[in-house]
Amino acid sequence: MSSAPIHADGDARAGARRNLRSAPPHSLWAPWAFLAPFLLLFAAFTLWPLGQSLVLAFSQTFGPKHSAFVGFDNFRFLLRDPLFWTALGNTALYTAGSVFIQLPIALGLALLLNRPGLRGRAVFRLIFFAPSLVGLVFVAMVFSLLFQSRTGLINSGLHHLFPAWDPEFAWLDRHVMASLVVATVWLYAGFNMIYFLAALQNVSRELLEAAGLDGAGPWARFRHVILPEIRPVGGFVLLLSIIGSFQAFELPWVLLNNSAGPDNRGLTIVMYLYQTGFLTGDLGYASAIGWILGLLLALAALLQLRATRSEGN
Amino acid sequence: MSSSRPLDFLSLGAWLILIGALLSLALHLVRPTPERRGRDFWLFSPPNLPPYLEAAKSWNAAHRDPADQLNVQLIHYQALERRLVAAFTADAPIADLVETESQAMARAFAGPIKGVGFVDLTDRLRAEGLFDAINAPSFSLWTSRGRTFGLPHDVHPCLLGYRADIVEAAGIDVSRIETWDDFRRVLAPLIQDFDGDGRPDRFLLNFWDNNFDLIEMLLLQAGDPFFDADGYPQLNTSRHARTLASLVSWIAGPDRFCVDAREFTAGGDRMRIEGTVIASILPDWLAGTWKTYIPDLHGKVKLMKLPAWEPGGRRTSVSGGSCLGITRAAPDVDRAWSMAKHLYLSPEVAEAHFRATCIISPVKKFWALPAYRERDPFFCGQAVGELYVAAAPHVPLRHSSPYLSLVKERMMAILVSLKATAIAQNRFDADSLLPEARRLVDAAQADIAARMDRNHLYRAR
Repeated sequence: MSSAPIHADGDARAGARRNLRSAPPHSLWAPWAFLAPFLLLFAAFTLWPLGQSLVLAFSQTFGPKHSAFVGFDNFRFLLRDPLFWTALGNTALYTAGSVFIQLPIALGLALLLNRPGLRGRAVFRLIFFAPSLVGLVFVAMVFSLLFQSRTGLINSGLHHLFPAWDPEFAWLDRHVMASLVVATVWLYAGFNMIYFLAALQNVSRELLEAAGLDGAGPWARFRHVILPEIRPVGGFVLLLSIIGSFQAFELPWVLLNNSAGPDNRGLTIVMYLYQTGFLTGDLGYASAIGWILGLLLALAALLQLRATRSEGN
Repeated sequence: MSSSRPLDFLSLGAWLILIGALLSLALHLVRPTPERRGRDFWLFSPPNLPPYLEAAKSWNAAHRDPADQLNVQLIHYQALERRLVAAFTADAPIADLVETESQAMARAFAGPIKGVGFVDLTDRLRAEGLFDAINAPSFSLWTSRGRTFGLPHDVHPCLLGYRADIVEAAGIDVSRIETWDDFRRVLAPLIQDFDGDGRPDRFLLNFWDNNFDLIEMLLLQAGDPFFDADGYPQLNTSRHARTLASLVSWIAGPDRFCVDAREFTAGGDRMRIEGTVIASILPDWLAGTWKTYIPDLHGKVKLMKLPAWEPGGRRTSVSGGSCLGITRAAPDVDRAWSMAKHLYLSPEVAEAHFRATCIISPVKKFWALPAYRERDPFFCGQAVGELYVAAAPHVPLRHSSPYLSLVKERMMAILVSLKATAIAQNRFDADSLLPEARRLVDAAQADIAARMDRNHLYRAR
């Protein structure tokens, strides 16, 4: 049994080689000709800068045109840099908030919209999706107005409803991460809902009906039929959310008025990278931060890949 | 086997795309790139543009040679910053003259003095007596290791803008105010609870621990710059520690008198208009911004000297700043220098500039310009120019450093931390917070110094 696929695979390869030999000459270079523009751009604008940033990560820079190789010095300093750890902690917290609050809300909205017989499904879909049509900067500006102490809609509304509420409650000072997560949920829950909705619409009706006939209630159907069916999409959305959250920059930067907030409570890794590289001008250290961020994201992607593979097996 | 024609390996659509690409490439190669004529001057501040356009017009009328024409271009600040970085790191094209601000200049100063992307103007400034003709503190931001790379655009002294209608209606005489303690004491009757909820609804000053520009202004006013002339940090001075400890009682505790009414926000402006906040620290450029963007304050605001930290102390501070630099890419530095002087040393430009922005010139002989003595109805008929000019010679010194933004964040964090300590211990007076303030500024000094010392190249400069 086990040798058959190998033979089949071997035959296919031999066939492909025969086809290539007999193919007209242009068939050999035509794919490369089509790929060439992408490959050139990729090499010029991705591979080359990536290589340069790796070199920079092992260098110290001094002004625009001077650098010196320092080995792992940047990485060593990074490991004992309290600001980096603050940024990493904040980013992890923000990611956790985004993932554990936003994704269940997105899934819940998708389940609501997937209910049979729901009227105005398209309208609701548009309403939930609409926040992601506006830009990050716009959302940050809106939420910075909403969260303002004394004049912000949230504080003044709460003060009107409950006179004991302090109109100067400092959302963006005392609860930076919570405020960021709220803005993120508003922005992205509808976007991720679309993925979940598409996955839910592919869940086999027969399976659901069969489970129902076997006496499975709504929770059991969700737990044992729907969830396994949408798991690949869920994994994908989870990975996207983690990557997006770890790259958070514009939203906190604008929301906190071009700063990391009081006591660096809103400092994210990319924000720290920006401050180091583009405000202080230490491009070497900024590159080291960038590579650590890249490694963290690669690790997340790897874990996700493994989880998906183990589920497949 | 079917015989294929030579052109069959691409579909019609693919051929169209290919032909289109080749045609556009040919067009691009054949079409001549317009030759750059004259010299470019880039700036980022929109209100500065009209006076410069006028100045360029007069320059161009007097210099007919196309190579001598002056082209003024307004570029968004972020774009200007990126272009400067690209020019200094990769020799990307850049204008001959660039009006820029302190952070961009500080980055340019990070390398060896010979590698600074701007032309060293020290000898020209000295030879032409401009070090004496221009307000001395205005040079400090553009000077590194004793060499000056920018012609100062401004002084940016600070005054206190206050709601004269409210203060005078309460019968308060602001001439009794000399220090910040006086300010708090004299204006205290204006802190009021209008809705009876037990919380004040009116405050005396716009200041908060999340506003590092205001923290910087107050720390500079107290007397110590963040960096010495060599760019080394000096954060752990007694004065910094005491000032930060004193600021806590401004924003927390029973004697609090400040509120967060941030500039350039709708909420902050509303609080200014509604009189929720009585006074704000106003550099000259911000006075111009108020005139343009908060017309509701017309005729309600007056300016006075900033209260000092101690009797006889400094009655002003400084915020922001721009300069004109000649980039090393300029092919004719002498010509660019003539243009720079035409733009910055012209009384017409200075006057037009003041009328548009309230920004006073750093050139001392212009301080007698009639425009500076004009009564301004927005500020209840005060001669705004005169008031700022009187403060100009006393603005504190500042020194440039690429680590400035980090230091500002750190000072802000110290104030936040001190406030938290004060609230936790329910003690808000400066004396009881001073030991903690000292500990925090010492830690900040050690951290910033470690970051700077880590860079062997920066340390060895």
